[in-house]
Amino acid sequence: MTSIEEKFEESKRLGLQIVKESAEEDRLMTLSVGPQHPGSGHFRFVIKLDGDYIVYCDPDPGYVHRGEEKMCEYRNVIQNIPHLERPVIHDSANITYSYSLAVEELVGIEVPRRGQFIRAIASELNRQVYTLYWLAIYGIFLGHSTMFMWPTGDREVIIDLLEALTGARVTHAYNIPGGVRNDMPEGFRDRCLSQIRYLQKRFKEYEDIFYNNPLFRQRTEGVAVLSKEDAIKLGVTGSVVRASSVPFDVRKAEPYDIYNEIDFKVQYMKTGDCFARSYVPLLDMQESCYIIEQLLDKMPASGEVRAKLQPNPKGPPGESYRRVESGRGALGYYIVSDGTPKPYRVKISVGSFRNMLALPFLLVGQRLADMPAVYWSLNYWPVEADR
Amino acid sequence: MTSAGGFIKSIESGSKHLVIKRFTLRYPEKKLKFVGDGYQFDPKKGVGIAGYRGRHILMHDKCTGCQLCAIACEGIAEAIGMVKVDEQWKHNKKGIMPQIDYGKCVFCGLCVDACPFYALFMTNDYELSAFTKEHLIYTPAQLAIKPKYQGDVEIVIDDRGATHG
Amino acid sequence: MASHPQDFRFGGFVVSLIWLIFWILVIVALVGLPLIFIILFYVPLPEVDGEVLTPYLFLTSILYPQSAIPVIETLLDTTLFKVAVFPGFTYAALIAAATIFIERKFLAKMQLRVGPLYAGKIEGILQLLADGLKLLSKEIIIPSGSDKLIFWAAPIAFVATAAAVVALIPAAPGWVVADIDVGLLAVFAILGFFPLIALLFSWASNSKYPFIGGLRALHQLIAFEIPFILSALSVVILSGTLNLTEVVESQIQSYWFIFFLPISAFVFYISSLAELERIPFDLPEAEAEIVAGWLTETSGMIYGLLQLGSYIKTYALAALFVILFLGGWAGPQIFPAEIIPESTEAVIPVGELYEQTDANAVFWFTLKTFGVIMLMLLPRGISPRIRIDILLHTGWYKLIVLAFINMFVALALIYGGVLGPGGLLVR
Repeated sequence: MTSIEEKFEESKRLGLQIVKESAEEDRLMTLSVGPQHPGSGHFRFVIKLDGDYIVYCDPDPGYVHRGEEKMCEYRNVIQNIPHLERPVIHDSANITYSYSLAVEELVGIEVPRRGQFIRAIASELNRQVYTLYWLAIYGIFLGHSTMFMWPTGDREVIIDLLEALTGARVTHAYNIPGGVRNDMPEGFRDRCLSQIRYLQKRFKEYEDIFYNNPLFRQRTEGVAVLSKEDAIKLGVTGSVVRASSVPFDVRKAEPYDIYNEIDFKVQYMKTGDCFARSYVPLLDMQESCYIIEQLLDKMPASGEVRAKLQPNPKGPPGESYRRVESGRGALGYYIVSDGTPKPYRVKISVGSFRNMLALPFLLVGQRLADMPAVYWSLNYWPVEADR
Repeated sequence: MTSAGGFIKSIESGSKHLVIKRFTLRYPEKKLKFVGDGYQFDPKKGVGIAGYRGRHILMHDKCTGCQLCAIACEGIAEAIGMVKVDEQWKHNKKGIMPQIDYGKCVFCGLCVDACPFYALFMTNDYELSAFTKEHLIYTPAQLAIKPKYQGDVEIVIDDRGATHG
Repeated sequence: MASHPQDFRFGGFVVSLIWLIFWILVIVALVGLPLIFIILFYVPLPEVDGEVLTPYLFLTSILYPQSAIPVIETLLDTTLFKVAVFPGFTYAALIAAATIFIERKFLAKMQLRVGPLYAGKIEGILQLLADGLKLLSKEIIIPSGSDKLIFWAAPIAFVATAAAVVALIPAAPGWVVADIDVGLLAVFAILGFFPLIALLFSWASNSKYPFIGGLRALHQLIAFEIPFILSALSVVILSGTLNLTEVVESQIQSYWFIFFLPISAFVFYISSLAELERIPFDLPEAEAEIVAGWLTETSGMIYGLLQLGSYIKTYALAALFVILFLGGWAGPQIFPAEIIPESTEAVIPVGELYEQTDANAVFWFTLKTFGVIMLMLLPRGISPRIRIDILLHTGWYKLIVLAFINMFVALALIYGGVLGPGGLLVR
């Protein structure tokens, strides 16, 4: 098992970020930004400080590991859905979307068209819910309590919508292999449009009080720049890589379901600093609003939403890998089946874990005060990274 | 002096909110309204009917004791167990009905999807607190009671903002 | 479908009442009465109408209530009253308590939510009492490796120093605990204690996060004392005296100084936000970076004392702003000359205690102080936390330059004969 020091040696050899070393170990102070810290979530990283500058960072995940992948092997394909959405409870439509796509490829199910549209609507709404929550926590990490309360309140508007659609506020258990579990209720379309318009008005308020606030800009512009080459070499994904001028979005690069019929732009920024990483999710949310409007327009007025399945769906032995753009980045499932109703091996590849690898590289050389800003700008969700 | 402009804009934005109505839902004095009666599943069409997934309701005159709900839940939360009931029903020869442990139930509704006889639905009731764990296990007789849930408010969006009203 | 709560038994209730009365009687008899006797022996009794007020005289005055008024008037003049009630500790504590409650409700309104709601019948007005009782009942945990003497002494010193600043602030003409000729200089001298207390407490906590917080507090508080003093210096130039009461008198004679010194007022405002460790300058207590800064190891009443001291300091600095720039207690006379006309005969003529000028002064002073406190609460809802290098850059470069600019304006006004003795704008 290679340690972080050996990885740093290798990264120096490859020409990546040069790690700042201090000759005198005595003057360094070791801080454990552990799970019992208001600025870290369910995650621990050990940092060494030289005065006010960080010279070493060692992430230590695993506090919320619950064995999701192993549990999948003991349940059949439909029973896997409720526990698989627990890693990210408020973005659950995306993590089960990817699973459903992979299972449909294995078993050979064709999802009806209306079901595909509703799945995409649920996915976009969940992306907005997750990003608003992430934005709220970003605000409170920087000490801005108003920015914590406003997105959390506006999130209620969308969660109310999702509750009408799926029956539960979070952990919807809505996507299953074959489609979605129930059709939209009456009046959903108008309610959805009015709430999307309200949200678009609120984005302007966020820009006024947070993004254009000179104090916020001073704290995040130019901090922890991730260049384009480093981003590609480190393999980060999602809004982090789009903030480093790489316009990669799984919905455009490998379109799934009906995303090849929707017209939207991939939002990206060129600077690659903390400000870009915090601004790209807002642009993604605005883009998401346009996508939802198009989806509601193009949706067939009636039709099946769920394909008929046999009681214990199973397919021929094989493997499949599908991925989806979730709030954090590319979320992929690799499922191996051996012909029985229960999968043989399920491997979940999440965006958070890949983004975490950039944390040691970015934190070294920054001040202690930048630590929460950098850490959370990597769009890291600790529960999902541990699965 | 763009920074001064930025400050003035943020002060303006913050002060604007002093005249907007508050967004809070004053629970438990006011409760949210739901559309419909709760999540139901139509086995003939094979698709569910949208609704809130709260406490279950068991129709004793349709349940045949086939255990499909308990088998579905075995892989998820193991919250449904079959118990013997005293009632004599023609369609329920074995005399067993499901009992649900709400300490374990995750309210996913897959048991409702599994029932082929229109016997198990979910309702709008979500206020299920109890003082002991034993009180959370709902027997088939308790599951047959239709809950009385009164919702008063919903989210209203107008030009000035959103409120619960 | 829940289990029953315990049954109410009337006999048990009566027994608990009797126990309560028993303990009250015991405490009054064993503790209260000896205390009264000790006070009567050792505390000098006040003089009323040339006669020393003995307990017998006090008891006879129950039959003649109108003789109580001279006693109260004598009491109102003593230093003890000024220290304890007005404008001293009770007044400052009441304003601090009102500030905390208003801050929570004000921020909640700005953030589209309700603040405290359930403590007290009207929208949570007893929330502060509930919080205070909670803090009193919590266990005070002292880390084993800490320096116990300083750990206990520093919060008390914090509140004491804040109260010392309050002691120098005049709230009405003649109502000041310590009327020193160099009042403003004394305020700055006492304010210089706070970085020491923060550093001592953080060092005594023997932990890494408080250590970082204490260093940050030291940097911040010392860096912002200089623009603080420089901006107040312009006021001294214009008014010609360091005595706070006379500063207000000179503003009553001309116009409020904020019209002549707007930039100084702005610098004073920003520096006082930094001295109070309020958002956006709350780096010593940055929650997401250093847990709670130099307050990390506090719990229970130690935390309560630190918060109390912090809010009393808020009142003191807001009152200082009002005195230096907003004319203190100056304002149009809106109180009547007497509240109870002479003709009616009352049993206890309380109307004799009322003085028109004092009431007016107190009213305007309190109103203006509350206005300035609301202005200090506003940045909490609007801005994020600042970083230490930006803070020091702002404090050392920008604010000192701005303070000097206004000082030259003040000097020009004095030498141009606009203000100062015999000036154009002096009434």
